[in-house]
Amino acid sequence: MTPAMWAPILAAVVLAPAGSRLGRRLPPSVSVPLLTLAALATAVATGFVLAVAAFDAMAMLGPVAALGHWSVASVRPGGTVSIMLDVAAGLIVGVLLAAAVRRATRIGVDLGHAVATCRRLGPDAGGLVVLRDDEPDAFALPGVRGRVVVSTGMLRMLPPDERRVLLAHERAHLAHGHQVYVQLAGLAAAANPLLRPLAREVERGVERWADEVAAAEVGDRRLAARALARAGLARAKSPVDSRPGLALHAAAERGGVGARAMALLQPPPRRRRWPAAALIVVTLVAIGGAALTGSTTEDRFERAQADYALALAR
Amino acid sequence: MPGSSGRARGALEREVLACLAAAGRPLTTAEVQAGLHGRLAYTTVLTALTRLHAKGVLTRQPAGRAFAYGLAAEMDEIPASLTARGMRRLLDSGPDRATVLASFVADLSPEDERILSGLLEERGHAEGDERT
Repeated sequence: MTPAMWAPILAAVVLAPAGSRLGRRLPPSVSVPLLTLAALATAVATGFVLAVAAFDAMAMLGPVAALGHWSVASVRPGGTVSIMLDVAAGLIVGVLLAAAVRRATRIGVDLGHAVATCRRLGPDAGGLVVLRDDEPDAFALPGVRGRVVVSTGMLRMLPPDERRVLLAHERAHLAHGHQVYVQLAGLAAAANPLLRPLAREVERGVERWADEVAAAEVGDRRLAARALARAGLARAKSPVDSRPGLALHAAAERGGVGARAMALLQPPPRRRRWPAAALIVVTLVAIGGAALTGSTTEDRFERAQADYALALAR
Repeated sequence: MPGSSGRARGALEREVLACLAAAGRPLTTAEVQAGLHGRLAYTTVLTALTRLHAKGVLTRQPAGRAFAYGLAAEMDEIPASLTARGMRRLLDSGPDRATVLASFVADLSPEDERILSGLLEERGHAEGDERT
């Protein structure tokens, strides 16, 4: 593997701890798109350089070289250590690609369910569907025309002004396409597990984003924080038998309702230049490494083919 | 009050439906008006109710000289699997699921619970101060 090939992997290693920290210094409407882009670019770039390394290893095999008409000796001057690395890269890229395909299928199936469920729902008011259910619950359901689903149990818990916060929050998820960011970041994390913290940060970020939109819409941040508090506590008090344990734990982890409420008690986050610039730089390093790898690899194989042709002519 | 008068039509319709659902019984236009946050004109509320009735979201019955509006019966006919709970079970994230539902509030850690309870209590004090 060449130094350029390490750039995307280095970017992923840096993003794992730093991405979330940088993201939290930005307004969520800025950090979510930037983090999603960084995750996607890094995942694709990592996959690409690993695939190139794997191809290098395969190119050393006699029959493959004969098929490609290149000289094995000039494909790469590296030693055995390098070959071992390339073989390992091949194994890793296979596993990761399989994971990415599995994840993409999963997303397709689950989104398909959501879209089908949207279609089966009864009449709605401006995209809101109320379901008679005593357990307090509220969520946005993505679809061609997504719906906001709220249980009567949740609506009864909230005074009218806080109901506005809830509706504005869920509506914001649909209006700003939050589902797209969450799924793309999830896909990137499946293709490169180093990016998992980034995907979690995107999930957290879209909640904060929707909170900020709702707070702006009702014009009262404290009110938005209270709505979160009341809804959160109402849900905590309801029987949890219907929720599977693992999902429960994961939800507590990713939600951080307390932290969201605290953020609403602070002034709205300012747009800062440097965290955004830092995220963009890391993203560019990943893309640059992959691009450089692509062009040098192409040159290398062209030269190897020329050498092969020369040897034949002799 | 910013936002309370200049709501978009969709937002108002959602609030009206939410208000009726929270009440759990049919309400007259005046009652809905009182149950919404902010000062909205009676005719504005009436227009929204009429539109929702036309869409089939609400039913109405005569109540004195006006109408009382309630959630349409169709809502009861939604299959049992489509309670909010059923949908969550169907669609919510497991370890190997794509998270397609965006919940308003996730489940709380004990730390969250402490913060949120504190926040609501603080509000109680603040209101007390305002009254005095």
